[in-house]
Amino acid sequence: MKDLASLAVDTASARGAEYADARLIVMQHEEVRFKNGEPAGLDQSESVGVGVRVLVRGAWGFAATDDLTREGISRCAALAVEIGRASARLVAEPVRLAPEPPHRAVWASECRVDPFTVPLARKVDLLARIDAELRRVGGVRNAESSLTFVREHQWFLSTEGSDVEQTLTRSGGGYTATAVRDGDIQRRSFPAAEGHHLCRGWEFIESLPWVENAGRVAEEAVALLSADQCPPGTYDIVLDGSQLALQIHESVGHPSELDRVLGMEANYAGTSFLTLDKRDALQFGSPIVNLVADATLPAGLATFAFDDEGVEAQRWPIVEGGRFRGYLTSRELAHRVGETRSRGCVRADGWHHIPMIRMVNLSLLPGRGTLEELLGDTGRGLYLETNRSWSIDQLRYNFQFKTEIAWEIRDGKRVRMLKNPTYQGITTQFWNSCDAICGESEWRPWGIVNCGKGQPGQVADMTHGAAPARFRNVKVGAGYES
Amino acid sequence: MTRDGARAVLDRVLAAAGGEEVEAILGGGRSALTRFANNEVTQNVAERRYLLSVRVVRGRRTGRATGNDLSAEGIARLVRRAADAASVQPEIAGLLPLPGPQEYRAVEASDPATADLGPEERLEQARRAVERCRAAGLEGAGIYESGEGTIGDYGEIGALAIANSRGLFAYHSGTSATFRVSALSGTAGGWAARESHRAADIDGAALADRAVEKTLRSRDPRAWEPGRHTVVLEPAALADLLLEMAWCSFGALLVQEGRSFLANRMGQRVMGENVTLRDDPYHELHLGSPFDSEGMPTRPVTIIERGVARSPVYDRQTAAKDGVESTGHGLPVPNTYGPMARHLVLEGDGESLEGLIAGVDRGLLVTRVWYTNLVDPGTVTVTGMTRDGLFAIERGRVTHAVRNFRFNQSVVELLGQVEALGRPELVNGVVCPPVRARGFRMSSVTEF
Repeated sequence: MKDLASLAVDTASARGAEYADARLIVMQHEEVRFKNGEPAGLDQSESVGVGVRVLVRGAWGFAATDDLTREGISRCAALAVEIGRASARLVAEPVRLAPEPPHRAVWASECRVDPFTVPLARKVDLLARIDAELRRVGGVRNAESSLTFVREHQWFLSTEGSDVEQTLTRSGGGYTATAVRDGDIQRRSFPAAEGHHLCRGWEFIESLPWVENAGRVAEEAVALLSADQCPPGTYDIVLDGSQLALQIHESVGHPSELDRVLGMEANYAGTSFLTLDKRDALQFGSPIVNLVADATLPAGLATFAFDDEGVEAQRWPIVEGGRFRGYLTSRELAHRVGETRSRGCVRADGWHHIPMIRMVNLSLLPGRGTLEELLGDTGRGLYLETNRSWSIDQLRYNFQFKTEIAWEIRDGKRVRMLKNPTYQGITTQFWNSCDAICGESEWRPWGIVNCGKGQPGQVADMTHGAAPARFRNVKVGAGYES
Repeated sequence: MTRDGARAVLDRVLAAAGGEEVEAILGGGRSALTRFANNEVTQNVAERRYLLSVRVVRGRRTGRATGNDLSAEGIARLVRRAADAASVQPEIAGLLPLPGPQEYRAVEASDPATADLGPEERLEQARRAVERCRAAGLEGAGIYESGEGTIGDYGEIGALAIANSRGLFAYHSGTSATFRVSALSGTAGGWAARESHRAADIDGAALADRAVEKTLRSRDPRAWEPGRHTVVLEPAALADLLLEMAWCSFGALLVQEGRSFLANRMGQRVMGENVTLRDDPYHELHLGSPFDSEGMPTRPVTIIERGVARSPVYDRQTAAKDGVESTGHGLPVPNTYGPMARHLVLEGDGESLEGLIAGVDRGLLVTRVWYTNLVDPGTVTVTGMTRDGLFAIERGRVTHAVRNFRFNQSVVELLGQVEALGRPELVNGVVCPPVRARGFRMSSVTEF
């Protein structure tokens, strides 16, 4: 395989590229689905191909192919150079890559039990047991569950001498119970809205209490049909870790991507309010808010030894003591913020897409205390669990989220279940209203597996660690106002 | 890949299956995209990619395996893996046997010049757009995508050809050309786009002119109060709302499970009399595939007729449950979602955009919306942001820019409050007109 990647780099170089890299990838994917007592999808897929990225006269070209004959790879590399040459006609300033020493390494994520060797029958059996527990509760209209496994085996070679082989194995799953009555459609999910996924093997699946939680999840879905509508108003809210993970993703992660900040996503996802003058100047959040980007986080979905342009994995602050500190960068853009080395945030969705700046793992550092202590300290408020809907504006100021369930808090106790909670805010006002974050014992790494970005669109995975946290005076209920 | 080339691949699957009941779906093609921002090219990519998906059926058990190794050995391995998967899966009570041969309408959606469009041609259109933006003192950003086959916006691969062991064979290939451009001035923006199956329809300079004109009018926005406003929604704004509605409403499984607003409402008035909504891949602006992922011929379906709920779209399984025929909207079997409407057409009227604006005493002109997401599936309430051109309309004239709003709006309610419709165009994969509607619910103002 490495010979083919080498051929791509050599061909591009011979055709006139001043820089070239190639990623040859074998992608394996397995998804098993169950719905209402029956199999609802089993797909095992494998895809192999190579993506070639070049700089020609300071401009990018990229081509990818699944034709892995020597002729096919040579054609692909030549096309990448032809594309780069065309790009050079419309480039104001040639691309400058921040220096990175060439790396030669072989690395694999931790995987004690290879999920692709676990018999399919065992996976089906787990889903069947979950499904039976969910449907044991009267009133459940749909019970859906799934397990997903991904392996990415990648060879990265560059004209600068990097030669890196990496293998990442991801495992995850989740389930949802849906209850329906007269157009009211309620659901509860476990462990989170899109399931829970980490860069680990089958042992991760075995570590979670799947079946044990199914009855509670189903009962809550049905109970929501009879619950009161969450009344609109201004509340102190406590977000559970999985909802906070998405809040971090949308309102901290994306706006700190340097390509967005510099306008390179302007036609699609937009730009960012975190303009270059904000670094070290903006009080992004309250002093207890510390957010760390970390491509070395154990088992993170964006944990690797080297990113997709061969830069070593790093850990650095994005928000420190509430102050905005840094960006997610690439070799191309690091110099735009006065840095001499990329932070190593460049990744691609498969072999067929060009690498671009993607969020690495980004976590809110824990504070102190347990969830029960935090709720006990909250006189009147709402505890919101499990995302159901999300949206944020094109500069990442104005957001709105809906969760599956809310619990009304009075005198520090959960007094009743409420349905259809939505909350809105402006990013910096919201994070500055954070006055309590639970401690280490409540902190969990939550996986995001559906992050879209770029044109053509690419999907990426990453992890956001979080413990439940409280935010004061938040506007609740706008999604359902008449 | 040509029809003969696709047939040869699928025939190899049938031969390798050796008498098994088997279905094979081949998808993919070539896709290229030139991307620009800050008035220069920032990405320029091309890919060639095919995927073959093989499904083996053994009675009421079925298993699927997918891969991109189209060699004889690769195909044999896929068939083995699919058969192995089928053997360990529990039975599916409602699993149907594979369908036999079908007849399809011809759809001419291929344009050789578009299929072979090179980086120089894409670059030239991008350069013309950038020149217009630069001349106006603005930053241009956008894309020019071209390709042939079935590679979607996010790399997903649709069916190019299907064959099965009962003699079914279907093939459809098309070309595409999409140009989108934003013109930016600080936080003010304007946007324009064109989608076609022919690159000859793309005029980057003309699209940039429209975006520039929007941007120049978008500067110095004034804040309006949240609340219900009369709006003129341009096609791009309405298209995204219709897509959200289709996703949670128009498939027969959603209706059968009570998860669609159409559940138990067939034959009832659910929207305004001026609303007729269809799914129609044969519409001259769509030119979509004439078959679904089961190989069934796709039929145009009238979902809403003059405001009355008529029919969801069906696959074979949901059709069998309702005692009707499949309308050819199935996804690969089995799946949890059911059939999907993918070629929406909202019928329009003859009104011009200017005419729609002229009918507003006080309201808002919405160029497009962003980051829409479903808040409530029962009422199809959708949240999102206005973007790239929100303007005040006062006494029939566009008067000034307005700061962007977050909205929370039921799309069903919206389509009950449409006063007038304009001429349809294809945008974001939906054929829809601009509309004027009352009482659109703006929830909060953002910072720009």
